[in-house]
Amino acid sequence: MIKIIKIYAMAIILFTSYQSILQAAPMSYKGSTTSMATISKDYSSLESSYVITTKDAIGLRAFKSTGDSHTIKAEGIFYLRKLMRINAINSQTNLWLFADAGTINVKKNLKNKDHYYLSPTLQFDYETKGLFGLISHQLLRVGHDNFDTTKIEGGFSFYEKSYKETQPWFILKAKNINNIFNKIEYTPTLRLINKAIFMDAGISMDGKPSLHVMYTF
Amino acid sequence: MKKVILIGMICLSLNSQALTQRIEVLGMVCAFCAQGIEKSFESAKNVKAVFVNLEDYFVAIESKNEKGLDEMVIRKIITESGYDVKKIEVVPDSVSVIKKKYEPK
Repeated sequence: MIKIIKIYAMAIILFTSYQSILQAAPMSYKGSTTSMATISKDYSSLESSYVITTKDAIGLRAFKSTGDSHTIKAEGIFYLRKLMRINAINSQTNLWLFADAGTINVKKNLKNKDHYYLSPTLQFDYETKGLFGLISHQLLRVGHDNFDTTKIEGGFSFYEKSYKETQPWFILKAKNINNIFNKIEYTPTLRLINKAIFMDAGISMDGKPSLHVMYTF
Repeated sequence: MKKVILIGMICLSLNSQALTQRIEVLGMVCAFCAQGIEKSFESAKNVKAVFVNLEDYFVAIESKNEKGLDEMVIRKIITESGYDVKKIEVVPDSVSVIKKKYEPK
């Protein structure tokens, strides 16, 4: 009994002490694999996940984020759970939970230190054929440092296309990573979706280009 | 000539045995998400053709025989792709005819 309590206490300590970073869109259909990559000046990531049930997926992820005072690099696994989906005739509403675990390296004042991390993320999104909105928050605490990440995205489709045609969207992304970004970063983005391929290309208000590509197979 | 007539009759009889079902799907709002439905139906037994229509939120499937796909199977495929079924109905047109009606020229 004491052993179980110790394990439970350790899990809570790990959960509140160590953490990861955030990604874009989540789960496709059962049995599918989704891979994605994001590249920008201060953030890059690579990940792949497999959908094991209609509500659960598991995956691998690596990312690097560079700020003025901190640089973080992480590799780990994640579990994704679809907590809620509301399918209406012309819309889809989702609530997702990500649970990341792995190792993270924090570079601060020219000193490097490795940690283990556990990191939960909650993501809420709403989509119709012409509108899209997303809000997410990730808890990422490494030692005494706070790298919590918040994202808000919203946009619209320029015009309606058929299933097999490429559909263009305009999305405005706002993102903040504590201790990495000094301010909220706004990125106007062009999104192109063509069945299995999903691509975001944008330039932030500070002139930093970013590219996000996702493919499901 | 006899061969041509025979092949034509076989084709006609095969076509008359096929059944097309139209499924109205809830939540099917983007192509990236809907591809799961198409792939799952394409790999299902007894399915000859599939057509996904985002504009009117439906999927049409044509089966290889007159029985069509069991409604339970249809609902399972749609649900496992992340969506819900609003309505399933049998329609007289084949998938190729439906495609012609809805696909851009």
